[in-house]
Amino acid sequence: MRLYNRYILTVALSLLLTTVILIAIGQNSLSIYYTIYVIEALIITELYVYFNNKARRGLTYVSTMLFGGFAVALCLQVLKILA
Amino acid sequence: MINRNPYIWAGLGLLIVGGLISLPAYFLFHIVWLTALGICMLIMSFILVALGKAVPKLPPEVCSLLLETGIKNIATLIEELGIQSKAIYLPSSLARNRPQAFIPLHSNGSRPEITKALPQRLIARYGTSPEDIGLLISTIGSTATGMLDSKPGATPAELESALTSLFAGRLGVADGTRVVCHNNHIRVEINKPRLENGTSWSHRCLGSPLSTVVASIAAEAWNKPITISQEEQIDGKYCVELEVIG
Repeated sequence: MRLYNRYILTVALSLLLTTVILIAIGQNSLSIYYTIYVIEALIITELYVYFNNKARRGLTYVSTMLFGGFAVALCLQVLKILA
Repeated sequence: MINRNPYIWAGLGLLIVGGLISLPAYFLFHIVWLTALGICMLIMSFILVALGKAVPKLPPEVCSLLLETGIKNIATLIEELGIQSKAIYLPSSLARNRPQAFIPLHSNGSRPEITKALPQRLIARYGTSPEDIGLLISTIGSTATGMLDSKPGATPAELESALTSLFAGRLGVADGTRVVCHNNHIRVEINKPRLENGTSWSHRCLGSPLSTVVASIAAEAWNKPITISQEEQIDGKYCVELEVIG
């Protein structure tokens, strides 16, 4: 449970800090926000290697879902450039 | 399950609030930073729901109750028999199917040599002499070994990885471990242990709960009998000194 709480706190703080920094530098692209969130969440998840199998499986589904969203955002950007 | 799990509740709460913030912010008000904040909440909600499903169904109080009852029963048995010799932790190859602790009933100063698998009984014979008998019991370590993904190899790095994975990841009873090997001695440092270590007779014979786990896993990794030669608490660390027999 302690490991879960530490992981949740780490992800929450990093996402919040990223939002504050991106707002401060005047970033206005939603895909940039989302891409950075996904990269951070994936890196932090990979760093917590000692989760049990059930938790790891659940987080793998979340990572796949987030990566799917990232792929959609990337495709939209490519289509925008091509158009 | 949903009623009793705060992770799921927090996840569902963030999912609703995140949806309520991000959708109007993107489609109605066109505020990027507010939409991003809503997306943050949605990401956190997915993570919370995923972790909520992995939380054990049994509350910690019930687990503690079962643990204490088991330990007290073994302690009573050992104290009633007046056993003073230290337990020998056997790998599964010497205890039939899983690592177990063997306590010789008669100690004449020399350690019993166990070279073949003992019969799966409470009172087991290891030699030809009438005094060559002892108790073969399962400890917390016997069960904990089954929680590992794979059997660790006989190296300090692999033992350290297995113990940290178990203590910090699965059981949540310590922050990490450090293993140092020197000849037939293995020193294990457990960082910030959160399990009480008693000083009763049975603890002197079997070792503390954390030590029994360490000894069982080390015996399985080295595939040799192991005893706990020393254990002490130093500055937030619990140090266990093991001796590999044979």
